[in-house]
Amino acid sequence: MKLITILVVMFALLLASLPVAFSLGSLGLGMLLAEGFSPLMAPQAILSTLDGFILLAVPLFLLMSNVLLYGGCGKDLYSAVQAWVGHWPGGLAIATIVSCGIFAAISGVSVATAATIGVVAIPEMISRGYNKNFVYGLLAAGGTLGILIPPSLPMIVYGFITEESVISLFLAGIGPGIFLIGLFIIYSIIYAHLFGGYTPTEKASWEDRLKHSIKVAPTIALAALVLGGIYSGVFTPTEAAAIGFALSIILTVFIMRSLSFENFKRSIFEAMVITAAILIIIAGAKIFGKAITLYRIPQDISQLIQTYVDSKTVFIIVVCIVLIAMGLVFETLSMVLIMVPVLLPAAMGMGIDPIWFGIFMVVMVECALITPPVGLNLYVIQSVANVKLGEVAKGVLPFLLLMLFTVAVMYVWPDLVLYIPFKL
Amino acid sequence: MRTFIDLFERVTLLLAWFAAWLFVASGLMLSYEVVARYFFIAPTKWAAELSQLCLIYGTLLSLCWLVQHRRHIQINAVTSQLNDKWQRLFGICTMAILIWFSSFVTYYGWAIFHDSFERGRTTGSLLDLPAWLAEMPVPLFFALVGIQAGIEIFKLVTGEPIPSGGYE
Repeated sequence: MKLITILVVMFALLLASLPVAFSLGSLGLGMLLAEGFSPLMAPQAILSTLDGFILLAVPLFLLMSNVLLYGGCGKDLYSAVQAWVGHWPGGLAIATIVSCGIFAAISGVSVATAATIGVVAIPEMISRGYNKNFVYGLLAAGGTLGILIPPSLPMIVYGFITEESVISLFLAGIGPGIFLIGLFIIYSIIYAHLFGGYTPTEKASWEDRLKHSIKVAPTIALAALVLGGIYSGVFTPTEAAAIGFALSIILTVFIMRSLSFENFKRSIFEAMVITAAILIIIAGAKIFGKAITLYRIPQDISQLIQTYVDSKTVFIIVVCIVLIAMGLVFETLSMVLIMVPVLLPAAMGMGIDPIWFGIFMVVMVECALITPPVGLNLYVIQSVANVKLGEVAKGVLPFLLLMLFTVAVMYVWPDLVLYIPFKL
Repeated sequence: MRTFIDLFERVTLLLAWFAAWLFVASGLMLSYEVVARYFFIAPTKWAAELSQLCLIYGTLLSLCWLVQHRRHIQINAVTSQLNDKWQRLFGICTMAILIWFSSFVTYYGWAIFHDSFERGRTTGSLLDLPAWLAEMPVPLFFALVGIQAGIEIFKLVTGEPIPSGGYE
């Protein structure tokens, strides 16, 4: 009964347009007061959230992404990939997915990936006659690669709270990331064959390909440096984000000369807005998380699962259903923060590898990114394309199914996740 | 009242810009830390801690501006279907909840800050900064959020246009 009341109040607050952060925070505070717990926990939770060094990577990755975005790197990247694959059936869609994959290797944030590539790809694809819903769905889903392909903020948070190796998590994300890119590409080719309706682009000359590739080489080098630095232990993920930001300024201001001071100011202001919006949600989720923990709701759920579920397969299916339901209203990092402490002990009790479980969580929170009403990527694409949320939501369903298929493959063939970090 | 609102909103814009530059500063400080560590073999003792303070201040400084411009992440799917009168009514209710929440965070956040200040508690890190430096912005800027929410209620009641906001 308590759980139902909490869910009803949460939905009421969210649907009344109270910001997600304050919906979770107010509900958490109300729950603390109702049972006589100290409200001191609310400001403490806000402080402890903002006091995490790892979360400093959020504004820094966003700053780097925005500087590259306003510096026109998304356009260059898209043009380069388009020069290579644009003439294939569904070539622009493939270029979009590959560009998302490459940008994901720089940003670590799904919203930035969706926004950076979306700004360039949406008008280009729509002008070429691609179905609008397909385009919006492709970009919203392609953006989610940002958190699966390392560096990834949810993986960092997962590693932090479970004390698992972040590097192993990063390596484990590569296999499913490439697999998902492959699935999106195959779907796009099939979609293009079946539904057509677009104007094919002409095959680029070798000279054009070379010209575009040279132009985008520094951006690829930046991605390689950020990832290489983290893997080799030269710097922490937060420092990697800082170095990436500094180098992105050098790249766009001094080498490419494509970032004006006005655009730089815009890029940092937008990064600040998104950072504050995301971090305050994490803080609100932490207050809510504390309250539900004191109400023993996660423990009750965990015990319920362990009592009634004795098969690994059923457990994963149940967790998938729970995470999909949670993903309707929760932001990605909040989901990781709230659900991992509840689910991981039960998962490990069933012999599930914690690194595998981490990647499974990330793919599931990717699904949450594109499921309404709280699917951040839907809002990003809505904002970039200036269309209604419903139009974006319509296009994501096939991609959502492909992500769930990836989860099924990961379950049947765990080496898709575990081979690179442990067996290569 | 209008003069006060204009002045307050000018201050919140300044705070938001300051927040943006604080994030830039944190990036540059950490970059310098890596360079100093590998090229000068002289790691700093201030970069990580000051960057952390930048994150705390930067996030909290910008909250007011986000409330004013409806840039917090929120779900408009239902309320956007309502007429202006009902949208204003919902807006007033949500801002009232925000005032309630901010009041609690301000009051109890102040208690945390005041306790650290009185006891002279420090971070215990290399820089050993006073702990209240990181704790002070919570009550301070949530108080401003409460005031901003009050201003938003005034604007909603007096019929001023509702910002469309949106997530970008």
